Amino acid sequence: MTIPSTHLLIQTIILGLLVGGVYALMSSGLTLIFGVMRVINVAHGAFLILGAYFTYWLFQLTGFDPIASIAFTAPVLFMLGWLFQRYALSRLENPERSSVLITFALAITMEGLMGTFWKTTLRSVKPEYASEVIQFATYRIPVTRLIGFSTALLVLLSLYLILQRTNLGRAIRATIQDRNAAQLVGVNVQMVSAITFGIGIATAAAGGSLLSMIYSFNASSQADWITRVLSVIVLGGMGSLPGALVAALILGMMEQLTAVVITLYWSPIVFYLFLFLTLIFRPQGLMGEVIREKA
Amino acid sequence: MKRLLFSNRAWLVIALIALFVYPLVQQSQYYQHVMIMTMMAAVLASSWNILGGYAGYTSLGHAAFFGLGGYLVALAHNHYGWHPFISTWFLAVIVMAIALILGWISLRTQGSAFVVVTIAMVFIFRLVALNLSSVTNGARGLTQARPGWGEVQWSPEFIKVPFHYIMLILLCLTVFVSWRIRQSKFGLGLIAIREDEGKAEAVGINTMLYKVLAFGFSAYFMGVAGGIYSYFFTYIDPQFIFDVFTGVTMVLIAILGGRGTLWGPVLGAFIMEPLGNWVIGTFGGTQIHLAVFGGILLIVMLFMPQGILPTLSDAINQREKSNLAKVQSS
Repeated sequence: MTIPSTHLLIQTIILGLLVGGVYALMSSGLTLIFGVMRVINVAHGAFLILGAYFTYWLFQLTGFDPIASIAFTAPVLFMLGWLFQRYALSRLENPERSSVLITFALAITMEGLMGTFWKTTLRSVKPEYASEVIQFATYRIPVTRLIGFSTALLVLLSLYLILQRTNLGRAIRATIQDRNAAQLVGVNVQMVSAITFGIGIATAAAGGSLLSMIYSFNASSQADWITRVLSVIVLGGMGSLPGALVAALILGMMEQLTAVVITLYWSPIVFYLFLFLTLIFRPQGLMGEVIREKA
Repeated sequence: MKRLLFSNRAWLVIALIALFVYPLVQQSQYYQHVMIMTMMAAVLASSWNILGGYAGYTSLGHAAFFGLGGYLVALAHNHYGWHPFISTWFLAVIVMAIALILGWISLRTQGSAFVVVTIAMVFIFRLVALNLSSVTNGARGLTQARPGWGEVQWSPEFIKVPFHYIMLILLCLTVFVSWRIRQSKFGLGLIAIREDEGKAEAVGINTMLYKVLAFGFSAYFMGVAGGIYSYFFTYIDPQFIFDVFTGVTMVLIAILGGRGTLWGPVLGAFIMEPLGNWVIGTFGGTQIHLAVFGGILLIVMLFMPQGILPTLSDAINQREKSNLAKVQSS
């Protein structure tokens, strides 16, 4: 254990917050999906990696900018999410109970397919600005992190506007509040569920593009990412978007601090411990309702 | 129907004899190996079934106890020279004790939250195994001496035979205990918890105690199997052994065969393990293996959520009923 200097501490906190923003984007879709249909989509990590691979592909083949490629990858992943909800999840009799297993099955199927197709080499997307660093006072901030953070905020903002200002958003919020009542007043709950699932997966496409720039990844990285985003939404309170934002910033900072104070190797434990402890001692998270459903 | 699937002793005796003579008749190292792994998968799925099938609590983290058993046995063998075939039965008691504590903590959650907690659990185990290098040798894993007894090292031609029989003993014991539990008041209580935990509590079942005990029992056999496994391969890889995929394999096997039934997990193992080996042998990649596994799990959950045995017995019941109706109407 080492006590870092104040300078290092502030540098770490800045990096943590920037990473936290990206985590917030990655988790937003997951928490939205849970809010609307009480489904924990364990395949979210696999969709993130799929988004990352699509970005990598576009970049390698055409030199397309990783951020701009979101415009292509998001609609594709939206369709995949929509199809999966429409033709698999909605068939389940008791989705609350079996969703984890079935999305887990989807996750390992996707991991296997991606691993077969793209092999196991670690990849990352390195555009020209990848190694640039901005000097801010005495602190150094990698450009990719800054771009990642601002893109994340932009996507989150548009998600927020969709939810607050559009009819679709109103229908989604109504379904989150009370599924039966929403159906009674004429909301097509089935369709809202499928669209929400699509939107949730589309945010994973954006998250995946950022991931591909900041981290290196292969198919089996999906397991690391699903635990990260799961701990974010569990800590934030399942189904709560503001909760996910706050929790993502906290966890991003904690991760970086652990890496500096203890070692890099122990930093993932922040997520596992938060996940474990929150579910057991404060299942409603920071801003959510109790998720201890009837077993 | 009952006669056909559950209480026909003759089938059981035939199967036991077949398993007993298998390594004497089957000389191929490869098929001997596949049979040992199949029986191990049956042990894992059956013991998972005590908690996941009878009590209905889906744990994806039971690989943690498999791995823990493996590490304890390997450490005791390396440092004190305890023979794994003997020590594993005792060291698994430690695994069970740890499982009782972890069960007592994690079983406060239910449903999806419990599944997620068990995923986190196995990752915590993995991280500790990777980073506590002074004990666990970190990412390089633990190696053991080549299997043998006393001064004698088992020859490569013979080596699978003792493992076959010890795994067979463990399989019989696991299925026997699972059967005893199912017959007992304890087992009935677990099934009541699965059907409606609130009502089970209301009729006076100490649900927490029952669930924690089921957690402990299912961890015990995992621990024993892990110990034998680590000696069989003389090597443990923390990345592999503490993996959610290892945990989900047993879940798939139990669900495929029929979760909550006595023989379902065994049947599932005798289908999935040979199939998995065939896939790896034919297509060569563990990645394809992963995709096939996940795909089968998806299909089973969507189209046959009850598993093979219950679906089969439903179908036979239906036919007997309609036969009866025909007889009565004629």
